[in-house]
Amino acid sequence: MSENIIGIEHVSFKYKGSEMGLLNDISLNIASGETLLLTGASGSGKTTIIRLINGLIPHYYQGDLAGNVTVAGRDVAKTELYELAGVVGTVFQNPRSQFFSIDTDGEIVFGPENIGLDPKAILERKKSIVDQMHIEKLLGRSLFELSGGEKQSIACASVSALLPEIILLDEPSSNLDQGAIAKLRDQIALWKSQGKTIVISEHRLWYLKELVDRVIYMDSGNIAHEWSGSGFASFDSEKINELKLRPLVVPDILSPSCNGDCECDGDCDKVTDLPENEEGIVLKDFYFSYHLNPYLFWKKSFKEDDPNLSLCIPRLVLPKGAVIGVIGKNGTGKSTFLKCVCGLEKECKGVIKAYGKEYKGKQRLKLSYMVMQDVNHQLFTDSVESEVLLSMNEEDKERCDEILDSLGILEFKDKHPMALSGGQKQRVAIASAIAADAKLMLFDEPTSGLDFSHMEKVGELLKRLADSGNTVLVATHDPELIEMCCDYVLCIEHGKLGYLKKV
Amino acid sequence: MKLDPRTKFYMILIVSAVVMLSATTPFLWGLKIAMTLIPIILLIIEKKYTSAFGFAFLYIAALVLTFAFLSEESTGLFKSLLIGYSGIVVQFLPCFITAWYVIRTTKIDEFMSAMQKMKVPDGIAISLAVVMRFFPTIKEEYASISDAMKMRGIALGGGNAAKMIEYRMIPLLFSCVNIGDELSAAAITRGLGGKVKRTSVAELRLRLVDWLLITAFTAVAVIFVVYKYFL
Repeated sequence: MSENIIGIEHVSFKYKGSEMGLLNDISLNIASGETLLLTGASGSGKTTIIRLINGLIPHYYQGDLAGNVTVAGRDVAKTELYELAGVVGTVFQNPRSQFFSIDTDGEIVFGPENIGLDPKAILERKKSIVDQMHIEKLLGRSLFELSGGEKQSIACASVSALLPEIILLDEPSSNLDQGAIAKLRDQIALWKSQGKTIVISEHRLWYLKELVDRVIYMDSGNIAHEWSGSGFASFDSEKINELKLRPLVVPDILSPSCNGDCECDGDCDKVTDLPENEEGIVLKDFYFSYHLNPYLFWKKSFKEDDPNLSLCIPRLVLPKGAVIGVIGKNGTGKSTFLKCVCGLEKECKGVIKAYGKEYKGKQRLKLSYMVMQDVNHQLFTDSVESEVLLSMNEEDKERCDEILDSLGILEFKDKHPMALSGGQKQRVAIASAIAADAKLMLFDEPTSGLDFSHMEKVGELLKRLADSGNTVLVATHDPELIEMCCDYVLCIEHGKLGYLKKV
Repeated sequence: MKLDPRTKFYMILIVSAVVMLSATTPFLWGLKIAMTLIPIILLIIEKKYTSAFGFAFLYIAALVLTFAFLSEESTGLFKSLLIGYSGIVVQFLPCFITAWYVIRTTKIDEFMSAMQKMKVPDGIAISLAVVMRFFPTIKEEYASISDAMKMRGIALGGGNAAKMIEYRMIPLLFSCVNIGDELSAAAITRGLGGKVKRTSVAELRLRLVDWLLITAFTAVAVIFVVYKYFL
């Protein structure tokens, strides 16, 4: 057994002004070269442990800290953060907010520049890392144009560039599709083969089960269980369910082998052409492109045969009152599809026929409502109640209470929406959707970064929305969610309809 | 074509100084317009056609309005509003175009190393770099929030101007604060702000074009001042 590189001794921690993220007298030793997985419910302290190791606690996030953390022979509390930079590298959850540069090249060399390496050596390092990871085609691009998976690749590259002995990953797959997760797995395997010590905090388990040497299960700030990697990989689904973890094996419908491609299994009963008279929501002429810029007074218009279309759906019939999972790779047009359906892209001239009426242009906004991936963007007022009232045509406090009660958030009626947890905020957004009488509800990745029990709750909620007569479209990368609640799966590939099939 | 960031800063400096001086003779007007053309041409060279032609159109429209249609005898609300608007555009658009050009074409990396060469303290350089990094983020966040408002049918705040701003700003501030927080955390785990002297792979050198531009802008400033005050 090699020696310990990370030592956490009797550490307790509490964030300043918060009851969450408590750690209670945690002790954990991690051997050099070990790959460790931290798992458990949201708020159980996984991220806090990551922050203890990379020094963000106590140097950046303040709170009451007791106990000792040593990393590679240094006492973290007494070591400045920039001294740890060459020792510990961290890949964070949100690809959007971990970049300092705006271009990919600048981002990879950012770390080495900070620690004052010679420019020549930096360029050599950059070259060897780019070769190792095969990311040549990402160089020289703006980070803001990259898809989530590509951003995460650059994040891994820029961490590698500092050649740290220890690599931490904080829910790195939250915003990734199956193909990108497979790439991430290869990256972790590469680091492992280079002898790095790796600590991963994660809810998604299927891609890690063969990689990890040890698994730590956290429960409300304590280490509740500890298993060896092989022991963990052999757990059956009952045991995993009992622990409220996401499954170790993902259902075939989105299996990693097919990378989210639409052509997986040929013999599924495709229902691309529902007969005209069938009760359903008919989408017609949905074309859209990002490539054409509107120019002064010249407006965009799209033709079906334009090769540059980002979205090209001439006709699609969605079954009414069902939960429809929208799948497809990152950047393949799922979000564009949702935005066009609910009428946010006004250049998209698609028509929706439903409930005996035709909805064009802005009218589509009345029919539909989208709950965005980042719900913070759609909460505007200073209390949950006024948030819901804002959506109603005529303020009706009784109905508001009913809606809030049905979603289990009545008790937060007078609270500020921003003071709620992520899941509660999502419910507030759903409450506004119900209040707005939206018949077509769209969800953009509602379960990214959620643990299993929260995901279950979202799944139940989606089912309930469908049972009460709404049609629910949910774009997701979580096969677990699809298995849990979806009646149909709609696959989009390069902006075109792959298939629509029953689950 | 790559310009040294120091040339770009110098351009901003001169353009901002010159727009503050009012042009009184046709020659001075000509000089100002010539100066404005430089960043527009640079934008075209960088293939930023949309913004280049958009700015050119706006600038020409404002110039034409000011000189051909409006005079001091113009009366009436509409005309005086128009005088106000086109006056502001003619006066300050050059600054805006130059700043736009600089922000769109400077990489953070080059920016940091130029700041270092000019002996600007790290604290100021890093803050300015973060501001530059934030423009595209704000744009993205703002777009999502606008979408959300459209969906709720409150894009116009129900006709209430104060509400309209409130609904837009509150989510924007929240998400910018969050992103800023995560961004700083990510940057310092990669050694930003250490005591070590930062190096840079961006090689900065003043080339011929840089010197030409510096000379041109210096000339503009000198000629402008001389003609306006000494002749």
